[in-house]
Amino acid sequence: MTDGLANFKASRSRDAGRVIAHRRAPLTRVWLSIRDGKGFDILVVAIGVAFLAVFAGLPLVYNVLMSFQQVDMFTLNALIRPWAGLANYEAVIKQPEFWLVVRNTVFFTVGSIGGQFILGFALAVFFTQRFPGASIIRGLFLVSWVMPGLAVGAIWSWILAADFGVLNYILKSLGLISENIFWKSDPQFSLLAVTIANIWLGLAFNMLLLSVGLASIPRELYEAAELDGANRWQKFWMVTVPMMRSTIGAVLSLGLIGTLQQFDLFPPLTEGGPANSSMVAQVWAWQQSFRLYDFARGATISVMMLVLVLIASIIYVRSTRAEVRE
Amino acid sequence: MKLGSIGLWAGVALGALIAATPASAQVTLKVWSIDGAQQPGIADTLSKEFDEQNDDIVIEYRVLQFDELVTESTRAIATGQAPDIISFDNPDFALFSSRGAMLDITDRVANSSVIKTDSYYAGPLNSVTWDGKLYGLPKYTDTIGLFYNKDMFRAKGLDPDNPPKTWDELLEAARKLNDPAAGVYGITFSARGNEEGTFQFLPWIQMSGGDYTKVNGPGAVKALELWKTMIDEKLASQDVLSVGQWDSTGFFNNGQAAMAISGPWELNRMSTDAKFDWGVALLPTETEGGKRASALGGFDWGITAQTKHPDEAFRFLEFMYSQEDRFFPEFSSIPARSDIPLPPTGNALKDAALKVFQEQLKYAAPRGPHPEWQKISKAIYDAMQAALTGQVSAQQALDQAQATIEGIVGAS
Amino acid sequence: MNRVRTEIILLVIALALAAIYLFPLFWMYVTSIKGQSEIYAVPPTFWPAEPNLSIFADVWTRRNMGTFLWNSLVIAAGVTAVTVVLGVGIAYVLARYRNIWIDVTLFVILMLQVLPASVMVTPLFVGFSQFGLLGTPRLAVILAASAKAMPFFVVLVRATFMTVPRELEEAAFVDGSTRFGAFFSIVLPLARNGILVCAILTFMTSFGEYIYSKSIIQDTNLQPASVGLASFVGPNSRDWNGIMAYAAIYVTPILAVFVLLQRRIVSGLTSGALK
Repeated sequence: MTDGLANFKASRSRDAGRVIAHRRAPLTRVWLSIRDGKGFDILVVAIGVAFLAVFAGLPLVYNVLMSFQQVDMFTLNALIRPWAGLANYEAVIKQPEFWLVVRNTVFFTVGSIGGQFILGFALAVFFTQRFPGASIIRGLFLVSWVMPGLAVGAIWSWILAADFGVLNYILKSLGLISENIFWKSDPQFSLLAVTIANIWLGLAFNMLLLSVGLASIPRELYEAAELDGANRWQKFWMVTVPMMRSTIGAVLSLGLIGTLQQFDLFPPLTEGGPANSSMVAQVWAWQQSFRLYDFARGATISVMMLVLVLIASIIYVRSTRAEVRE
Repeated sequence: MKLGSIGLWAGVALGALIAATPASAQVTLKVWSIDGAQQPGIADTLSKEFDEQNDDIVIEYRVLQFDELVTESTRAIATGQAPDIISFDNPDFALFSSRGAMLDITDRVANSSVIKTDSYYAGPLNSVTWDGKLYGLPKYTDTIGLFYNKDMFRAKGLDPDNPPKTWDELLEAARKLNDPAAGVYGITFSARGNEEGTFQFLPWIQMSGGDYTKVNGPGAVKALELWKTMIDEKLASQDVLSVGQWDSTGFFNNGQAAMAISGPWELNRMSTDAKFDWGVALLPTETEGGKRASALGGFDWGITAQTKHPDEAFRFLEFMYSQEDRFFPEFSSIPARSDIPLPPTGNALKDAALKVFQEQLKYAAPRGPHPEWQKISKAIYDAMQAALTGQVSAQQALDQAQATIEGIVGAS
Repeated sequence: MNRVRTEIILLVIALALAAIYLFPLFWMYVTSIKGQSEIYAVPPTFWPAEPNLSIFADVWTRRNMGTFLWNSLVIAAGVTAVTVVLGVGIAYVLARYRNIWIDVTLFVILMLQVLPASVMVTPLFVGFSQFGLLGTPRLAVILAASAKAMPFFVVLVRATFMTVPRELEEAAFVDGSTRFGAFFSIVLPLARNGILVCAILTFMTSFGEYIYSKSIIQDTNLQPASVGLASFVGPNSRDWNGIMAYAAIYVTPILAVFVLLQRRIVSGLTSGALK
């Protein structure tokens, strides 16, 4: 109603601007466009995107390029190097630990995202209930978000220590284990140890985004469902989940990117060991480059990860598009 | 093989240097090393002295972490940002000298009135030599031996003057000393998945007649199985798989392990931290009177090929050479030279330990030199960790390592 | 009556959950003030026998933390400034149009932050060295880290802009306002809260920046607190009270600011700004 009027006025004023612009000299026209038209948008977005292109785009291209080249540690600052074709990819796949790393990466990613999401969702739902202090206590659950990953890694490293760690003590007191678990040195637990720390780290972010999504669901929908005789469980599946679809999509795909970026937790906890049992792709890529000085293989692994995240990004963009166009 | 981490020493040193900068025309030398992170070391202390004694030279000293040293140097050299002088761990030196990244100082050394190459031990000197040319100088040398807590030996009815001599005796001693109720492990060492793990395990392969080119002999398999037994029987904490030597020995100093495999760089700290009677023994051999071996540790000095001040940088090396008689008393580092007398320090435990380490050094075998040492080393520590965690048998793990190493060594 | 009881039960559950969640922080503080031998006590003590508060002053001077924290502050402030100035523009434009190109741009921006910093650092280092930026390493880190922080910021702030009714802006055009004028006088004030909150979050996350600083900043006097912490922590470090004291000094200011601003941050993000 009023929308129509506003749109009408706006389009008229823009048309007027365009007519004037056509009569002026080219430079003035550019200026006018920047002041009054699409030029403004283009300028604003171009500066930002140019910055990203230089400081994020070029390094990415460099990595992709490097994965197809023979790289020598002393030719790092050359762009043109002998072509290697797919040799680097072949070499990476032939590494004895390749499939182990793939499995670990999947476990770490799925475990972290799953844990963060399920716990985050449960907490978000819990805090939608009204009780005194709810919002303050919920606020406390956000602190891990702003903690430096390295500090979190150090704290968990100490909690998970085998002979003197408090977690083993608590588990033993509760009668859950009888022998100390070597969280960081036992290949059965090392990856789990890092995953636990990462779930703690990412919990806050998940809970917050999901809380926001929950808050935006109109109350009337629940009331209508109640009138239809739905119980709590049914309301959750019939109202909450469908209404949260785009939020969930965003949380999961941002979670995937975040998890694949997670590196800071590894140095204080396991360094990828023992026997590569907690080695994930991002740490492996780093190890190839900075411990074995095989920069081409490091780049190759990172390009493989890129493909993974490409898929995630597609999911994310589709979920936001559905929301905008609804 | 001291393990480093960036500490405040660099900050302190740098601050002092800036404050002390005189106004005359000066040459600035950038020196990189890992010394000074945990305790005052050779490079940080002596750089400062050299700076103070020479008005025409300013030293910018940077302390790096052990793990970062090669990476940072590689990147700096590749981008033309190299410092003037770097101190590398000896097996890493060939990576740089073989690629022309270090300055050939053969002639300078030959003409030097200070430095005499024939004073160096063969092993350390070999690590800075490539293709018959000299690309650096040994800084100091070290090796590993068996530290043991004599008080615990007495308490468990073992003879403190007769430490384990063979692998079997070592295992027996560890079993007797192990006391979980008191929170004491029989032994501690480092089987970490990095150069430290190789440094500690390779000597066992060498004692059994193998070397880095032949890692899957029956003796090597037996050694790896011995280590695995110690972890399986909880005679050593499973954390040896992720613990470095410095922290591992810390558990020994704390009385949380009765024996420790470690080196002379520990002597100063142990003298103050260990509140018990301790001693050092040669690494036990496979059989009584069998072949001895130990790791050859220690760092080297090198001038980078990119330096603009080779003369001043070489003066720095000459200064270091002239100060080596201070290395053991002040830094518990053993000079890599035969012509430096090591007089008693007055600390009986430390002096006795030095004698053992000097004896052990005679059997120290070098790692490499090989330009791709890091990959060879990874093959060894990967195999070690795979077997120790029970993923594959010791034989399978070492066979895999052998195949990987042959791929690397055979190719070059 | 029944309602009150339910509320009390919920409160108790909430407090119990919070206690579990906050335990790592509690353990950090408790460990930091324990003595060296009490750290290794079996069973562990949950409250120090002799709290040693002097450790904070000790670690502060011994680890040169004043300098480290100052550098963290400089880097975080720089990253926030660059990210806000450049990110707001992108977010605004991406929120304003709805077509395939917007989707593509959004997609590209997300893809640009895909590679972990640990892999991006080599090309960045090479590039910085070519342009002499290694001489001002903190600036170099700020530029690199801003590129890393920006995509996330854009996604969040874009959502904020989408809640600003377009009609208000267009009404301003009718009143003769320029795009600049409308943007600064109408749109920005309305989105201010959301932008502020995202800026604060960017600041806090950059306060923990590690990888770039570690590789790019060589001078210890210019390194941030994360690098200082990394230098003495590993899987089996021993100086745990020192490490925990360092971590406590490092995270307490962020936590304090966060707790103080918590309501504002949460309301900024939850008031429909973030969808």
